[in-house]
Amino acid sequence: MIGIGDALSFLLYPFAASVAFVLIHAYLGVHVLRRNIVFADLALAQLSALGATVAFALGYAPASPAGFAYALAFTALGAALLTFTRALGRLVSQEAFVGILYVAATAATVLVVDRSPQGAEHVKKILIGSILTVEPPDLIMFVALYGLIGLLHWFARVPMLAVASEAQPSGRSRLAVSLWDFLFFLSFGVVVTSSVTTAGVLLVFSFLIVPAVIGSLFSRTVPVVLAIAWASGTLASALGLASSFVLDLPTGAAMVVAFVLVLALAGLARALLFVPAAQSRRNWRAAADTAGLLALAPVLASSLWLIVNPAADQPLLAVLERTTGLGPATFLNAADRATYVEAIRDAARFQAEVAALNAKERAARVGGTPLTDDEVRRVASYQQSFNEMARGERFVEDVLRARARARERWIVGLPAAALALVGLGLLVRRRRHKSAA
Amino acid sequence: MKAICLAVAFAAALGVAAPAHARLRVVAATPDLAALATVVGGDLVSVETLVPAAADPEAFEPRPGDVDRVRRADLLVRVGLGYDYWLDKLIRQIGDKRLMRGGDAYVDGSVGIPLLEVSGQSVTNEGGHAHGVANPHYWLDPENAKIVTAGIAEALTRLLPGERERIAANRDRFVADLDRGVARWTDQLAPAAGVKLIAYHNSWPYLARRFRLDVTDFIEPKPGVAPSPAHLARLIAQGKTAGVRAIVHEPYEPEDASKFVAQKLGVPFVLLATSVGSVPQATDYLGLFDHNVATLAKALRVPSQ
Repeated sequence: MIGIGDALSFLLYPFAASVAFVLIHAYLGVHVLRRNIVFADLALAQLSALGATVAFALGYAPASPAGFAYALAFTALGAALLTFTRALGRLVSQEAFVGILYVAATAATVLVVDRSPQGAEHVKKILIGSILTVEPPDLIMFVALYGLIGLLHWFARVPMLAVASEAQPSGRSRLAVSLWDFLFFLSFGVVVTSSVTTAGVLLVFSFLIVPAVIGSLFSRTVPVVLAIAWASGTLASALGLASSFVLDLPTGAAMVVAFVLVLALAGLARALLFVPAAQSRRNWRAAADTAGLLALAPVLASSLWLIVNPAADQPLLAVLERTTGLGPATFLNAADRATYVEAIRDAARFQAEVAALNAKERAARVGGTPLTDDEVRRVASYQQSFNEMARGERFVEDVLRARARARERWIVGLPAAALALVGLGLLVRRRRHKSAA
Repeated sequence: MKAICLAVAFAAALGVAAPAHARLRVVAATPDLAALATVVGGDLVSVETLVPAAADPEAFEPRPGDVDRVRRADLLVRVGLGYDYWLDKLIRQIGDKRLMRGGDAYVDGSVGIPLLEVSGQSVTNEGGHAHGVANPHYWLDPENAKIVTAGIAEALTRLLPGERERIAANRDRFVADLDRGVARWTDQLAPAAGVKLIAYHNSWPYLARRFRLDVTDFIEPKPGVAPSPAHLARLIAQGKTAGVRAIVHEPYEPEDASKFVAQKLGVPFVLLATSVGSVPQATDYLGLFDHNVATLAKALRVPSQ
């Protein structure tokens, strides 16, 4: 029903916005990585949210100039505070200071919202974002704003990069360094403030850090890092948006996962392909060992858990049962199996009855004679009975599953545990053998 | 208890007899129940609300002051159905038999309500958003206010047997006002009967049943989860063929997705009050419906009376 045309018309603007975000954020990310304060964006975004909430609490509309001014003023305050991190860096970790700034701003926002709940919607929005609903006017605003800030950074690229890379840049006065720092954090704050209400904090953090990290994996020179960051960020955005559409997932979360996946793949490629041949061979072997360990350790843990406590939840076994179709029924005797199958069927049937009654009541709201209150009460009590009956069937299911698992503990659990142990033993021996050689 | 002792001592010191005018302290979980308790109790009661107006009751976190408020309550009025599940913990913590289910000071507003959308979920509801035994938004059907006020009146009479007549008269007056209101609102929305709407959250089944509206779908696919692009595409495609006429939105939810769908469908985005005080115009229980009905009628371009 939903064709490729629909998908394109839906994802075009979000994708365009993502590309704009990747271009500016990945660039700022390179700076942030050099400065070693990766959570600065969260602190600034939260401060701007605090500004917006304070504006709400004072009675200004969210999109009004006053609301914007408050957000900007709080962001500038954040930029000024972050400028101090350089001086503080001699005493404590800068990241600690940034983290404190973040929690303080968040807590203050919660307190303000508590006094004036109208701001809650805004706070929720910053958390989740809504990149899906970007429209052309937003897009034009982003492009214009980021273009301006990009231009500023282009002209100031030499001092900006110098103050980002060195703890105490030589040949520059302390005042000049502080000014450049402030300018950087202010422009950073403006970018983050604009993007966070659209993309949400999680996604903005991913835009900022992940592509820059990918780029830094492969090179130290800024232009190369940037080129790789922009390309990988764009790819991850496309991947995330497409998977969100095809797999029917919430867009922001799907995109964040896509960014992390691209990073993992880039990391693997870096370790396996972009190294000298001998190193590559060693890394391949290490990767294979790690994969083996990651596969065998859960199998061992899960089979031991089955042996120790067969009646408890068995998450890995449940996944296995679902994928192979070999459910607990396989391990029951004929009579129990029949009861088990029947319980599953009946639970589904009762559930369907509840749904059917819901549908009937819904239909009666608009069509035909409306149901009286007593008729609605009767429907509700039928539904409650069906729910009770379904719960009873599920109880039967649980009892029989536990019985099946009690058998599986020896038929499945013991051999699986033994196999996993042998596999792990082989792995360890291989490692030790190699380190001895 | 201490407070009452103090009050009595204070009154005695002033040479006044036991204070006949001491108001009964009613604590309501939500502004709606507070509004209903106020109309029934009149000047016999002073009413406090736990969830502030305009806050999302399904994401509420009680504060230390709330423990104290509930502890000192002469009457506690709650929504029930797992909607104000956080009260269970509070009541257990206080450990006062009066405030527990079956106690003299306990009113569960959902008792006797014709419930809609009874689901297979368990009776307890830890997550807040995941609607427990049935859809909990029953106060959005004005007829249900009669059942809720009856419960409150009964509890108040139990506590103040001497004021039986006054309490009954208060409630009768409210029910008469309500009946006039329901007649008015029904007239206003009669031309809109059967109109198809999409809502953000599943807050409106009771309102829909009373005024014969058809809420066909929700922006939020699962409560508390942001919509996926495929879901929005489906909503827009189906909304077009089904002839959806408006998007109904709750005040404390993010607006972008709702506005987006409204714009794609070319229909109005309608912000309705989910409870008293959640929009400034909904100042009391009748005002809540005056506002919602007028807003809906205007958005649907129903000719006014």
